[in-house]
Amino acid sequence: MRITVPVAKVLAALLADPGAECYGLDLMKVTGLPSGTLYPVLHRLQSAGWLDAHWEAIDPAAEGRPARRYYRLTPEGAVAARRALAELRALTTDGRQSWGGAEPTGAPAW
Amino acid sequence: MTRRLAEALLRAATRRWPAEYRDELGREWSAELHVLAAQRQRLRMLRYAASLAASRPDGPLAGPRAVRGRAGRTAAALLLAPVAGVGIVLVSAVVMAVVVNGFLATTVSWSTRAQLPLLTVLTAALALLLARFAARWGRRSALAGPLRTALGVMLPVGVTAVLLEYVLNRGTQGLIRAAPGLVSWLTLLTLVLWGASALAGRGRVRAAWWFGVLGALVVADVSVVLTVVNAIPAGPQTVVDGLPQADTVDRISAPLWLFASWTDWSFGLPRPTPWELFLITDLVEVQPYLYLAVSPYALAYAVNAARSAPPADAAPPEGLPA
Repeated sequence: MRITVPVAKVLAALLADPGAECYGLDLMKVTGLPSGTLYPVLHRLQSAGWLDAHWEAIDPAAEGRPARRYYRLTPEGAVAARRALAELRALTTDGRQSWGGAEPTGAPAW
Repeated sequence: MTRRLAEALLRAATRRWPAEYRDELGREWSAELHVLAAQRQRLRMLRYAASLAASRPDGPLAGPRAVRGRAGRTAAALLLAPVAGVGIVLVSAVVMAVVVNGFLATTVSWSTRAQLPLLTVLTAALALLLARFAARWGRRSALAGPLRTALGVMLPVGVTAVLLEYVLNRGTQGLIRAAPGLVSWLTLLTLVLWGASALAGRGRVRAAWWFGVLGALVVADVSVVLTVVNAIPAGPQTVVDGLPQADTVDRISAPLWLFASWTDWSFGLPRPTPWELFLITDLVEVQPYLYLAVSPYALAYAVNAARSAPPADAAPPEGLPA
């Protein structure tokens, strides 16, 4: 998995609460990424097995809206994401960029 | 309307992904769009859909780039060329001002009379340069059919021209004054491009050029005439304290007004008089130069797009509309 800035942002946002389920708009808001950048990243992470996606279990007719798709780090993905971000952090010396709230200190500058 | 536009953008976005992902992605994005629509976040809906439609899926998920490339280049050319046309007028005006004020004003007595002809020559030269590029872009156009090409060229031109008039006139009053000329120019030039494109599509390229050039000149002339007739009376002149105010323009010279605006000259004829020339050029201001800057591009694009299109009776490639 190639860790680009958008990938790192998404991983950091998901690691803020590894058990939580997020949908696309959530992640866009937290990471500041546009939809056109976010969804390709989510699919790369899914293809790598780092991310699991499933449909919301609702009755669309009853709810009056279609079911949304949720994303969550897989256990292996959470481990790999932590390791990848730690390696990134180790490679940098100065932290200035926000990672969507998941990296309060020491975030690398890109 | 916003929702429909966003949904159309999402459909375009899903088509760019590999087939096996399209259903799920379309379903997911529609659900998110529904959430934004329920919150009445129209701008966010459009941004959400437009970003997906504009960006390229990464790596192994990459969609059909060739289609995007051709359509993207067409869209970029058609959207940017009108802006380039406005840029041509601005650059020409700046260069003209530098030449006249920096060089001619101190060396010759006719520097003031040289302003508009110099602006016309500079605008025409840059417009021809833009047209050369437009001819190349037209040969790779994704637009098919004379009408679609004419509308594709003229819609962005129309938006740009209206915005330009609005900005120059600082509001809607001036825009309303310029409207008859502008609307007629946009409408009639669309028809001219349609005709020229149809002729070129049938292989009659020389006829297409003649029709297009003469048509564009007539259309620009008619538009200037309509603007002037709509705003300046034919007569009699207003008289204040016994003095005629010279606030009229005789219609007899109407066919010359476009060319008089470009040259600040009445071609040795008694009309338009110097004062009428002043009234006309003061009223139409930038319109004749905008027509001069944009028409060559529009015509070159339309003719070359039609020339490079497959013959009408040829079977379209599989998967493409006829």
